[in-house]
Amino acid sequence: MNPEIAILLISCLTAVACAIPGVFLVLRKMALISDAISHSILPGIVVGFFITHDLASPWLILLAAISGIVTVWLVEAIQKTGLVKEDTAIGLVFPALFSIGVLLIAIYANDVHLDTDAVLVGKLEYAPFDNWIINSSSSQEGITNPEDFINMGPKSLWTTGSVLLVTLVLLGLFYKELKLSTFDIGLTSALGFSPVILHYGLMSVASVTTVVSFDAVGAILVVALIIAPAATAYLLTNDLKKMLLLSVVFGILAAFGGYYLSMWLDASISGSITTVLGLIFLLVYLFAPSRGLLAVLFRQRRQRTEVSLLTFLLHLNNHDSIEERSVTHLQEHINWGKVRAKKVLKLALENNMISKNGDVVTLSNKGKEFTEKALDYIITNKDEKIEDMKDDFFLFRG
Amino acid sequence: MADKIAVAVDDLTVAYNYKPVLWDIDLSIPEGVLMAIVGPNGAGKSTLIKSILGIIDPIAGSVQIYDKPYHKQRHLVAYVPQKGSVDWDFPTTALDVVMMGTYGALGWIKRPGNKQKKQSLEALEKVGMLPFKNRQINQLSGGQQQRVFLARALVQNASIYFMDEPFQGVDATTEIAIINILKELRKAGKTVIVVHHDLQTVPEYFDWVTFLNVKHIATGPVKDIFNDDNLTKTYGINYKVAVQQ
Ligand SMILES: Nc1ncnc2c1ncn2[C@@H]1O[C@H](COP(=O)(O)OP(=O)(O)O)[C@@H](O)[C@H]1O
Ligand SMILES: [Mg+2]
Repeated sequence: MNPEIAILLISCLTAVACAIPGVFLVLRKMALISDAISHSILPGIVVGFFITHDLASPWLILLAAISGIVTVWLVEAIQKTGLVKEDTAIGLVFPALFSIGVLLIAIYANDVHLDTDAVLVGKLEYAPFDNWIINSSSSQEGITNPEDFINMGPKSLWTTGSVLLVTLVLLGLFYKELKLSTFDIGLTSALGFSPVILHYGLMSVASVTTVVSFDAVGAILVVALIIAPAATAYLLTNDLKKMLLLSVVFGILAAFGGYYLSMWLDASISGSITTVLGLIFLLVYLFAPSRGLLAVLFRQRRQRTEVSLLTFLLHLNNHDSIEERSVTHLQEHINWGKVRAKKVLKLALENNMISKNGDVVTLSNKGKEFTEKALDYIITNKDEKIEDMKDDFFLFRG
Repeated sequence: MADKIAVAVDDLTVAYNYKPVLWDIDLSIPEGVLMAIVGPNGAGKSTLIKSILGIIDPIAGSVQIYDKPYHKQRHLVAYVPQKGSVDWDFPTTALDVVMMGTYGALGWIKRPGNKQKKQSLEALEKVGMLPFKNRQINQLSGGQQQRVFLARALVQNASIYFMDEPFQGVDATTEIAIINILKELRKAGKTVIVVHHDLQTVPEYFDWVTFLNVKHIATGPVKDIFNDDNLTKTYGINYKVAVQQ
């Protein structure tokens, strides 16, 4: 297989496999746990390596996944004592497990090939050359014939591909249960869906995904791939299915973008993918239509203007005399700067709340109605009164 | 009607981190009552409901729903959790939340279909939230969110309804709308159990009441037991302050 295609495929499959559990972890406010898992799988990897002597063995993956689940369980057990909060518990557990792994290596396996670079940033560059070879030879020992070996392609492709397939099947089967238990754990349990099973199921998927992806992309990228696409998608949609879809899209975008960025900069592929993930998040964080920073700032400004508009309309409602209603008087009286006064006047005119005759403004019927409704709302705080105002005014949308 | 026992709690003790928050509760709730559970903050009202529904494992005691353990009677019970117990920023709509009420009857794996959607729309209609069915849940007011929760319980089509502070953060109109629906449920022979905060409205809204403060203090018809004696036992000597707030 062409190495370029192999690398792209592996990174895309990994990105998608990470993005899916990532959505649920982010919504459960458990993003940190993926960080913990990615570190504490080390003892599992080491013990697995002692037993199998093969870094890509399914047993090793299983053992590493078990250490991931032990992490989750330990974090919960510590948290349940009520002595520390969740983040503290996470901070206690994963360095402990990680150092057990390091000690095991130091004591028993100084020669184990586990270099820190590979652990942190993975070895995507070499993944296409680490192939799965099947020996179909019938001869027991002795001469081996090159034709007896079938090259099945990169190992990582097979491992991430299988994990992704399992993840997709589980998501398809248990989407409803996962959604319910992420939103409302009390009802989940009352309806007879065990939240514990769902929680550990999700954690097992997250652990296995982390272990398998870790091998290809390293500890840092795996955390980024789990958290960043989901966190980005969360800013853009109010629909869980779309959030899943968007996370997948962002993961794939970052895989492609990162690959070509790394070619261009001659840098590490997984580092570049992480960079692209960060850039996508930054862009969305700034420009997302309703939850982005700029949108929020814009909304706050509009809200300020709308409060001014309401003050202005109330003033008009309370005063009938022509002098009170002249623009210059309003500027002095309500004590606004010229810019603000202009903005408020414009907003009122645009919405047909007032009519302007030379320098004198008059409240229109619509403006009267609006003012009364708003007053009613402020006094009674009954939401029905302002339902139709919500569409036009941020002020009432909270 | 009042001789059939809908919910029976025996010697129930519940603890978080070994600190008991409910001590040896005995309680039986007859079928067909609209009952308030009252008690100060931290009295264990939510905990009591959660342990009846098997959400929390008690350290001692048992719960029976129509003479059988809860896990055999799930289909008879609907639950409205305290509003603050869920994340209203969760990416979902009002209709979708109501549909969750149908998940219990569906069981594992099966997806809700048109039938469940129709039931959910009817429930939304009943609580006056149909126009908001596609509204994002964080775009709803507190009262509207509470109505959505009520609709979700209605769609469970149960015999016994447990509601944890359904009037929390709702305006007066919504409060009346909700209590009318609860009274309708009682009229249809359902048993409705509500954690309630406003002592003043207890006689007007409910026909039964349970006083709870870590221990079970009293349960019975409002007209018989809603008195100074029980209020003082539950809220301490300053209970009048509680009534006034
Ligand atoms: N998950 C929990 N972990 C530890 N303590 C809890 C938990 N939930 C409630 N408590 C404690 O249990 C007591 C009863 O709580 P709760 O049942 O919520 O009371 P109420 O609903 O009457 O206000 C309180 O002291 C509260 O602090
Ligand atoms: Mg409570």
